[in-house]
Amino acid sequence: MRSPFHSEPEAFRFLLVVILALVPIVLAAALGPTWLALVVLVVVLGGVAARATQLRMRRLRSPDLLVKMAPPHLGPAAERRVLVVANDTLSEEALLWEIERLGSTPRIHVLLLVPAVITPAARLTGAIDSRLDQARLRMQAALDRAGHDNVAGKVTGEDPLEAIDDTFATFVPDEVIVATRWEQTAGGLEPRLAGLVRERFAVPVRHLVFEPGSAGQEPDAGTEARYQREFGAAAARRFGLRALAGAGILAALVLSLVALARTTPTNTTALAEQVAAAPATAAPSAQASVIGLKVIASGKKGPDGKLHDDFTVTEFHVTVGQPLTLRIDNTDTVPHSITSPEAGVSIVLAPGTHDYTLLVKQAGKFEWHCVFPCDPWSMAHVGYMRGFITATAA
Amino acid sequence: MLVEDPDVEAGLAIASGLRFAGYAVAVCPGPRGHGQCPLTGPAGCAPAHDADLVVCNLGYEREVAREVLGELRTRYPSTPLLVVVPPEVDPDLREVLDGCHQLPAGATPEQVVAAVRGISEHTADDGAPSA
Repeated sequence: MRSPFHSEPEAFRFLLVVILALVPIVLAAALGPTWLALVVLVVVLGGVAARATQLRMRRLRSPDLLVKMAPPHLGPAAERRVLVVANDTLSEEALLWEIERLGSTPRIHVLLLVPAVITPAARLTGAIDSRLDQARLRMQAALDRAGHDNVAGKVTGEDPLEAIDDTFATFVPDEVIVATRWEQTAGGLEPRLAGLVRERFAVPVRHLVFEPGSAGQEPDAGTEARYQREFGAAAARRFGLRALAGAGILAALVLSLVALARTTPTNTTALAEQVAAAPATAAPSAQASVIGLKVIASGKKGPDGKLHDDFTVTEFHVTVGQPLTLRIDNTDTVPHSITSPEAGVSIVLAPGTHDYTLLVKQAGKFEWHCVFPCDPWSMAHVGYMRGFITATAA
Repeated sequence: MLVEDPDVEAGLAIASGLRFAGYAVAVCPGPRGHGQCPLTGPAGCAPAHDADLVVCNLGYEREVAREVLGELRTRYPSTPLLVVVPPEVDPDLREVLDGCHQLPAGATPEQVVAAVRGISEHTADDGAPSA
């Protein structure tokens, strides 16, 4: 089995590109958060895709190397096989006469290939069958007119160039005739098709243009060059639009992934912040895995009109046996605590923000309080330096 | 078989002869003015890579043709080369042709096909792959 690479330098360059692409991804994954790795991955893939798009568009505009291929001749050396590619021009008397002439020549086999030219719009609207039926009718009329056994016909819904490519593997023509109009018509073949066949296959290709009531004419080199330019520009434009649409989808995907990656680990924080901002007697805290709250000296006005020390959250709901993380910002200069001997809880809160684990091993509602002497009034009142832990069975 | 010929019609004529002789063919016009030949670049040339024999009629007297010839010999040393050469070969350039099969310029497609057949049969006898 031969290597898919044409040379050692090509294989080496591929390896180098893969390594260079992997390095930033691996570094981002190792050193940064997940979303950064995702972003780097997408940026690298986007860069590769952009470069491939650029090269493809350049090639569509001006193919720079034209290597033609052809399989060995099929059948006895004295025989010739001619492929005629036509569609709407099959209504022209001059083309029918040419097919008849070829069919009547000894040792010439003719295959009439009729691409139905199904546009994307026709595929969307389901008008494929009618296009194929029209092509079949044209082909049958041409075959009836030729009236020779050595003239066969084939209708295809494939892209014309791909259909011709397939025919090279089955019919193996020695010559190709492409019949078009001077300019493409609805449902007709693209005049550039002949040039594309010439560029791809190492057999003689004749481009015959048929218009109503006139004999077949071969476009001159200038006209063929114009077809090439216009077709290349149109193909590049179509490809560019598709690439743009692809980039848009990719960008949307990236934004979604980044948003997802950034939201998932921090949504509990956001919830915790909401809880922290709520009054001490507000929402229960059992549903979040991380609860954020603050301890504030003289932070809350009591019914006596004075400011007292408080916890911004004083009610905790936990599931028995399941740890709950408390991210507590003790803004005071002295330690405080969440202490409940009945619940087996004793958490000492150092000044500053730290994470603590609240774990209760039995179900029930337990009162807690701060054991460090601080604000005596707060220490005696729920919602300030005192509160409840409710533990429910799993 | 890979046929390298800047003249499209001449290349097709040789290709036709080779096809009727039972060979699959690729025809390349060689390095062109507006694009780099992949053979002289890092990517390499797929048709040359896949060819069992290369017919090189790029005009041996041109430097770019000799460059292609050199690359073919370096990259695919086991692939036979049939080079179309002018009657008088410059002695300074003769080294490039070492190991190549030669055919005089102006050879007809039939003569090219006959030469290809001869080389193929010879390499087949030697146990080398042939078309």
